[in-house]
Amino acid sequence: MKKLLFVALAMSFFMGQAYAADTVKIGLMGPMTGSWASEGQEMKQVLDLLAEELNAKGGIAGKKVEVISEDDGGDPRTASLAAQRLATQGVVAVIGTYGSAVTEATQNIYNEAKIIQIANGSTAIRLSEKNLPYFFRTCPRDDEQAKVGVQAIQKLGVKKLAVLHDNSTYAKGLADEAKALLQGKVDIVFFEALTPKEQDYTAILTKMKAAQPDFVFFTGYYGEGGLLLKQKKEMNWNVPFMGGDATNNPDLVKIAGKDAAAGFYFLSAPLPKDLPFEQAKAFLAAFAKKYGNPPSSIYAVLAGDGFRGVATAIEQTKATDTARIADYLHKELKDFPGLTGKITFNEKGDRVGEVYKVYQVNPQGEFILQP
Amino acid sequence: MRRAAPHALLPSPGRKGASLNMEQFFQQLTNGLAVGGIYALIALGYTMVYGVLKLINFAHADLFTLGAYLGLTLLLAMALTDHLGPLWGTMVLALMVMGLIALVGALLDRVAYRPLRESPRLSAVVSALGASIFLQNTVMLIYGARFQVYPQNILPKAAIDLFGLSIPVVRLLVLAASLIMMAALYLFIQKTRIGTAIRAAAIDQGAAKLMGIDVNRVILMVFLVGPALGGLAGLMVGLYYGQINFTMGWVYGLKAFTAAILGGIGNIPGAMVGGLLLGVIEALGAAYLSIAWKDAIAFCVLILILIVRPTGLLGERVAEKV
Repeated sequence: MKKLLFVALAMSFFMGQAYAADTVKIGLMGPMTGSWASEGQEMKQVLDLLAEELNAKGGIAGKKVEVISEDDGGDPRTASLAAQRLATQGVVAVIGTYGSAVTEATQNIYNEAKIIQIANGSTAIRLSEKNLPYFFRTCPRDDEQAKVGVQAIQKLGVKKLAVLHDNSTYAKGLADEAKALLQGKVDIVFFEALTPKEQDYTAILTKMKAAQPDFVFFTGYYGEGGLLLKQKKEMNWNVPFMGGDATNNPDLVKIAGKDAAAGFYFLSAPLPKDLPFEQAKAFLAAFAKKYGNPPSSIYAVLAGDGFRGVATAIEQTKATDTARIADYLHKELKDFPGLTGKITFNEKGDRVGEVYKVYQVNPQGEFILQP
Repeated sequence: MRRAAPHALLPSPGRKGASLNMEQFFQQLTNGLAVGGIYALIALGYTMVYGVLKLINFAHADLFTLGAYLGLTLLLAMALTDHLGPLWGTMVLALMVMGLIALVGALLDRVAYRPLRESPRLSAVVSALGASIFLQNTVMLIYGARFQVYPQNILPKAAIDLFGLSIPVVRLLVLAASLIMMAALYLFIQKTRIGTAIRAAAIDQGAAKLMGIDVNRVILMVFLVGPALGGLAGLMVGLYYGQINFTMGWVYGLKAFTAAILGGIGNIPGAMVGGLLLGVIEALGAAYLSIAWKDAIAFCVLILILIVRPTGLLGERVAEKV
């Protein structure tokens, strides 16, 4: 009797193992709560839809895909806990996350656990300069972004520039990069940081106005960006503003109001609605059908590209060994038709070849691609 | 590129540098006073509760957040400003928010603090922290984690010229509203019987009881008035800045608590002075030193003041040993 019990236990153990091996687990780490919650929730919607489509076609290499999502709260401390939870759940790869400082807090955790991480919105340069073999990203880097920003600033004929960042990994990195590129070409009359999450930026705007810039480059996020535009308008100050790609979110217009947001420039990878590729159009239509509206954030779509890239790598290599999958992503994945264009990763895990665009908000509050 | 003079009152070009500096100084002063007024309104709630109960009501910042969200809900649901016009609509809205948050405050006292009245003081502090987490997450579950935005067209957008400064009318309204509320509270505390009872209970609860004061009623009053002011501050932040978020109580709560200590915790005029002063220090620190160090500057000033006057600017009683 005892023996029988043992056999039954052993059987159930093996069956349990076999069952677990029947799914491919892919993690999603995103800001489901906190200031960037709208980004994280859309990332989850994109991945859920892609996994559903993939499973309907038979999954990856005959196995079903399971997306396990964890909330990083847009906060480095919460994120490191989320990363540890994901690392213990047997995921092959993790997609995410949005903020650079948040990604930075989790990079080493995934690298030590030999889990592939594909960030979707973290553009800070130094993230991929650490020689981490399991780190990739589908978004471009800030040196690329700063280059495009600087070109735009010079094209607009700016003479006196004010640069404002928020001391975060991303915003400070982008501001420093732009400053270095503009040194000697444009007079930088103001270079300072604000404190995120405060609501009154009139003291900063008053000080900035006194420096009499004819153009302002704000490298922080959309919450603060919207408030700055609103309070600038209330001060009757008509200086043009440009933001980095973290101001690319429709909530910016909601916070600032249409009349204050009109004329605001920002840098971004092409928005979902401006993606010219066939597979992107089909995906956007499927997304709109499932959730009622098309995705508003490009980072959610970039998260989708990370997911599709890693799914392809697993399919092609038939491997469960993440070192082999990472190797495939580094060397063999060439011009993969992603939703946001062709995807190729270089040896650092950075995506190559994709260019930033300049957008402007029109009086209706829509984002218009600038030629 | 030279810009045209922003207004006609600018003096002759020879003195332009100096006058621009003065202009900037006064502009920053009004910036600071507007934020400071909001800090002061919230600080009053901390200081009133501390004065009577010697309890730091950590949930106060979340009552402030709740005020901002309730204000938005009522504003959208009842369209008061459409029926009554912006001025009266906002007034009625403010009264409703104050009333509702006062009730929540009284309920908070009944549920979270009153059962612990005879327990060690630490228990009530832990209960306050728990209430804070509970309220914050309730707001998140009801309204979601995204930014919520107040309608833009309620308050006047105009700016007026005052001594050569162009100041948005809204900022003056915010400052005026907080000053009026503070004056009203001061009169209430100094001139009415229940105000006298509150002061008596703050000085010595036992003696107040012996004089026939119903201390539980006094505490109830404190938990009605303090949260009402906090809720009003939340509504004002919503109307003025337009953007609210369920975590907004954290920054304002911290600053207001600092303001209460700066003025002398437990002291009502102290909270008003502390709030306005903290706002002004922050704005001027940002203007003349560095923006990124604005909080550090404000807290350094706080530490200096506490070294010189350990009970705060207007605090009189020696701090008790806890």
